[in-house]
Parts: sequence; C-alpha cells; structure tokens
Amino acid sequence: MEKNTYDAIVVGTGVSGGWAAKELTEKGLKTLVLDRGPMVKHLDYPTAMKAPWELPYGDEPTQEDLARWPKHTRPSFYGITQSTKHWFADDIDNPYEETKPFDWFRGYHVGGRSLMWGRQSYRLSPMDFEANGKEGVGVDWPIRYDDIAPWYDHVEHFIGVSGNNDHLAQLPDGNYLPPMDLNCVEKDFQAKLDSKFRRKLIIGRTANLSAPLKHDQSPQRGTCQYRNMCMRGCPFGGYFSSNSSTLPSAERTGNMTMVTDAIVYELIYDNDKGKATGVRVLDANTGHQTEYFAKVIFMCASTFGTAHILMNSTSTRFPNGFGNDSGELGHNIMDHLFGTGARAMVEGHEDRYYAGRRPTGFYIPRYRNIGSDRQKYLRGFGFQGGAGRQDWTRLVDQAALGEDLKRAAQEPGPWYVSMMGFGEMLPSHKNFVTLDRSHKDKYGMPVLNFDAAHQENEIAMGKAIIDDAVEMLTGAGYRDVSHFTMKANVGAGIHEMGTARMGRDPKTSVLNGWNQMHACKNVYVTDGSAMTSSGCQNPSLTYMALTARAANHAVEELKRGNL
Amino acid sequence: MNRREWLKSMSALAIGAIAGPSLLAVFDAHAASQAPAARPEFFDPAQYSLVGAVSDIIIPRTDTPGAVDAGVPLFMDQLFKAVYAKDEQARYLDAAAAFDKAGGKPFLQLSDAQRKALVNKLHAEALATPKGGKLTPASDFVLMTKKLTMLGFFLSQPGCTQVLQYDPVPARWQPDIPLSQAGNGHAWAVEASLKI
Repeated sequence: MEKNTYDAIVVGTGVSGGWAAKELTEKGLKTLVLDRGPMVKHLDYPTAMKAPWELPYGDEPTQEDLARWPKHTRPSFYGITQSTKHWFADDIDNPYEETKPFDWFRGYHVGGRSLMWGRQSYRLSPMDFEANGKEGVGVDWPIRYDDIAPWYDHVEHFIGVSGNNDHLAQLPDGNYLPPMDLNCVEKDFQAKLDSKFRRKLIIGRTANLSAPLKHDQSPQRGTCQYRNMCMRGCPFGGYFSSNSSTLPSAERTGNMTMVTDAIVYELIYDNDKGKATGVRVLDANTGHQTEYFAKVIFMCASTFGTAHILMNSTSTRFPNGFGNDSGELGHNIMDHLFGTGARAMVEGHEDRYYAGRRPTGFYIPRYRNIGSDRQKYLRGFGFQGGAGRQDWTRLVDQAALGEDLKRAAQEPGPWYVSMMGFGEMLPSHKNFVTLDRSHKDKYGMPVLNFDAAHQENEIAMGKAIIDDAVEMLTGAGYRDVSHFTMKANVGAGIHEMGTARMGRDPKTSVLNGWNQMHACKNVYVTDGSAMTSSGCQNPSLTYMALTARAANHAVEELKRGNL
Repeated sequence: MNRREWLKSMSALAIGAIAGPSLLAVFDAHAASQAPAARPEFFDPAQYSLVGAVSDIIIPRTDTPGAVDAGVPLFMDQLFKAVYAKDEQARYLDAAAAFDKAGGKPFLQLSDAQRKALVNKLHAEALATPKGGKLTPASDFVLMTKKLTMLGFFLSQPGCTQVLQYDPVPARWQPDIPLSQAGNGHAWAVEASLKI
C-alpha cells in the first residue's frame, strides 16, 4: 500500500488535469497523475509535418475508418481524417447509448482533447456568474467574477493567449499577447457592424503564441508558425496543450508520477474517516487492478468521464453515486448551440490577399439581452467566423477545363465571409446522463446513456442566430447571403458541462464554491462538470482557472489540516 | 466490478502485457496496415487507361505538370478502393461504361480532338443540369472525374507547388497585402475536400 500512496491523485490529463498536475506538484505535493489512454509526449505528433501530398486518400476517412468511428463520422463530428484520427477514441471499443442522440467527442490519450481543442480562450463575465441567480434558472453560482479573475490572469500568463483588450462588459479583458490582425474584408465587416448595428467584431482570442511567452518556465514552447495545423499537435509548441505546457512543468518538479493506460473505475470511500482514500484502476491492456491512495483527489476526467466514474462509485454512504446527495450528479448537461450560421460573397478587394495561415478567426461577442436589448429568450450567443478568398473547389461548377482550369485555379477566388453562432444553453434537470448497467464496454464498465435535448429557450435562440447572421451580412451589403444548418445534436459544440455543478446548497448541487464536493471535502472536481451555467463563451479557459484556484485551495486546506 | 467480471469482459484482449504501447506505436502499426497500394487495385487496365485519358484532358500537362504526371489516376484508384462505398464504386464504374459508349466508339479509339470535344460536351451538359437534377451517367462520369482529378492534382506536390503555391512553415501572418506581394501571387494551396 505504501508504494501506491501519494499526497494527491489527479484523474485525467486534458486542460484541467494538466493544470491540476502542474499546480499541485509545484506546490510540493507528491502527485500521481492517471490517464486512461496511452502516452503522448510533446513532439509525439506523427502527422505534424506532413504536406498535403504526404497524407493518403486526400486525407479522407476510409471505409475501415468509418466502420471504426460510426458516431465520430456523423455530420457534426470532425477529426476522422488521416492527419488526426489517431487522436479520437474509437466507437467500437468505447460505445455509448443515446436515448436521445448525443454527439460525444473523446480523446483517450495523455493530453486528452487539449491536443485537438479549438484554442479560443474567453473569460466569462460578471453577468454570466450572476444570471442564474437573477433569473431563477438552475442554481446560483457560488462564486462571482472577482473570485476567478486573478486565476484567469494566472492561466493566461502561463499558457499564452493572443488577443486584444476590447473593453467590453460582456467579455472581460485579459493578460494577452499581441492580437493577430483581421484581413481587409473582416475589417470592412467590422466597420459596417459598428456603424449599422453598433455591434463589435473583434479578433478571436486564441491560445497560440503570437509572441514569446512573458515567462521562462516553458522553454519547449516557441511562437506560432502560422501553419494552422494545430490539431495534429505542434512540434513548435505554438499553441497550448497539456503535452506542450503544463505536463512538462509538472514533470520538472520531480513530484509527478504518471501512469498511463490506467482506467479509473471507482473512488474508494472510507466510512469511518468520512473521506475518499483513493481510486481503483484497471490497466487498459492487461486488466490488472490496482488501488492508489492519496489525501486529496482531483477529478479532471472530462465532464462525462468524471460523471461516469462518480456514478460508478457506489457505497452504503453514496448508493446513488459518489457525492450525489443532491440527485444532481449526471444532470444539467449543457453544451453550446452549434452548427447554424450564414455566409455571403463580398465584391471587390481583388487586389488584396494574405500570407500565412492564421489559427483563429473573428469573434462577434454577445449583444443580446445586454443593456437595453430584450429578447423573448434568455441569455445570448456569439459568432465565430472568418473571411477569405475562395479556393479551387469553386471551379467544380464552372465551365473551365484543361489549361483554362489550371489558369483559373492559380487565381485566388472571390472573397467570402462565413460565421457560426455559439449560443448559451440553460441548465435543466431534464438533460442528463445515466449508467446503462445492462450494456458494458470491453473493460467491463457500464456505458453511459445520454438523454439531453435543446428546449424552448434554445430553440428560440437557434432561430435568432440564423436571423441575426443573415441580417448582419445583408446589412453589410454583401451578396448571395445564405444560411446553413448542420445536423448537430447536443454535444456537437464539444463544450459539454454541468454534470456535477457548483452551488451554495448541498441539496441542489454537487460542489461548493471551491470545486470541493459538498459531501466529501477531499474530492475536487474541476473539469466541465463543475459548471453551473454555460455562458456562450468557449469554456476551456474557465476550467483551467477553476482548476488552478481549486488546487491552491486544496494545498491551503491540507496545510490547515482540514482534508 | 470484480476480477472475474473483468476477465470475462477482457477475453478478446491479450492478458499479461506489462506496459501498453505508446500512441505513436499504435499510429505506426495502423498507418502501415492502411498504406495505399503502389499499383492500381480497383480499376482494371482498360478502366485505368480511360480514367487516365479523361483526367489528362481535365488537367493536362502545360508548362507545368498535369494530372497524369501528378499521379492522379493512381490516387483515384486508391480512393475508390479504400474510401468509397460499394454503391459509390458501382455508380462510378457504371458511369464509366456509359461514358465509354457515348462517343459512338470506345473512347480510347477516338482522336484527341474527338475526345476533348466529347468531354467538353458532357461537362457542359452536367453543368447545365439544375442542382438536384439527375445527370446522365456519361455526364455524371465526367463531373465525378473532374472533381477527383482536381482533388488529386491540387493536393499533389506538383499541383501545390508548381500551379498553386505552398508554404509549409509561413512563420508569420500578413493579414492584408497586395496580391502581387503574396509570395508569387498565385492562390495558396489549402486543405480541401471534394466528394463525387
């Protein structure tokens, strides 16, 4: 037992787990870090430097790939290409049930989805932390913006976020590296939105290094090379991932022990102590079972990964799942409305172009239900988009063949602009995930069954997203404005959250204001499952800030002898 | 879960391995098993010649390499073998057979001028068909072959570097510059997807 005993255990190595590992080890805790998948060290990115002609099949998925990833190749999914499919958990070995259809993206390897994430990094605003309480939706956040603001500073400083300070109440400024600039058509759209709609268009804030980091703790990270192949992994360390950033820092402390292929299937609860004492793990390759022990446990296995483990950890104290006195564990699934928007063609600017591949687009921050604006739905949405010149695929429908086709392809096409909405989803007890004990995966774990759908507020907002996008592009004077709707289910935004929410009252929430379990204080949950509401901003930065804050709290509480 | 339950569920897996392979090893093994073949495996020799001849009309050699120079026929063979489903394979081969009859005698027995004229005529016919309308198999063949020829060529090294321009490591972002100052002024090669 002694050799399996640590100060802390971190379950998962994505954005949250990496941060927990770094903060806890840097504060001197001997920390065991567990991941259910194989090791990926920084630079283990097999396709990172491949040119288009070095990827087989035009980077398309093969029939064999479709058979291995039947869910992951549905219309709203992405990533099953020759250049990135190795980052996605296959659907055969990792099945899930869908009472209602649900799009669940998973990366089961060290680094998790921090390797493939979209890198957009926005703070929630004071109004986001207040909305539930003011409107009587779900439960009130137990924290306010001022509680998390210094931790946003801390995280942005360390990971490096390129962005502009735009002085918007709904999207707080941050500690940024220089912004990446808009191109000429994006500037044109920005000016028109400002003059005709009084709405802001800003450059996307992205966790790519537009300049060297302002610290010297990550020598393995270089600046962004503007290749925009981030999803393959970046050998330059140009964007933030656990692999390139937090895990190397944790490793350098000498306090981290990492065990890979380690599937945590339950937490161990000690009735006499009233605490969690450790975790039970099985080796993904051998099935060998091991118990590990620690004073404090950080659950960072992703929103559904964590819910899965907690629901599977039953005892006389917690017959309905670990820490689930409230009955809210697994409930209140949120994501962001995703997959709808509009596009248009833009006349002129034929003599202007760009060079380099910018790894971000523009962002139109939320403007609905702010100030004097009042809508029939609650909350709001933002748009993410970009402008560019059409590529050679436009020529499929054009008459040119032969020499003419080659010549036409050499010319950059006309300019287009395209944008998609990301809308806030309200927490609802009716959106939940359960364990299906009649269906087990190859590891013997009961699989998850999803039962979540967009409700009245989301449906009204979804219509508004399309109407607003069309109105703005039309109002800007662009031509051929058309809207699009992808066949997307809840989960498609890959911003799933809410299954172990924070709150003030143990009767209605799982975690307190420090991401500590109300019912078991030495268990912290700091991934997306902690979220009390979703905002409409990309949430990863908030998970990182919550994790760093919680890790600091855990170390203080250990020192005080409270855990 | 107890040990017995676990073993039962794991019966398909090797028991007793000490450490798992890294993801890199898994990738290498999978990539090797999926490596495309170096010779045609889907088309028969006659079909392969036909596809080559049509792709050569769609993107010919000029002062820069053409589709055949860039290996497009083999690329298309690999796509049909590994990427396209049975019904899509059949659609393409049936369309190829119809196309081969559309010129009065087998396509490869036509003169160069007759071949070009036929491909151009069927291409125009395909583009004139309203969206969602049904193409004749022969014109469908020309449009499908055009799409895959473009895909194979503009993702190939000659297509990316001699017709378009490709910069593997741009190192900086220049958001708004005169077209003439954007490298050699050609369109940038991009990742793209086109299905038949």
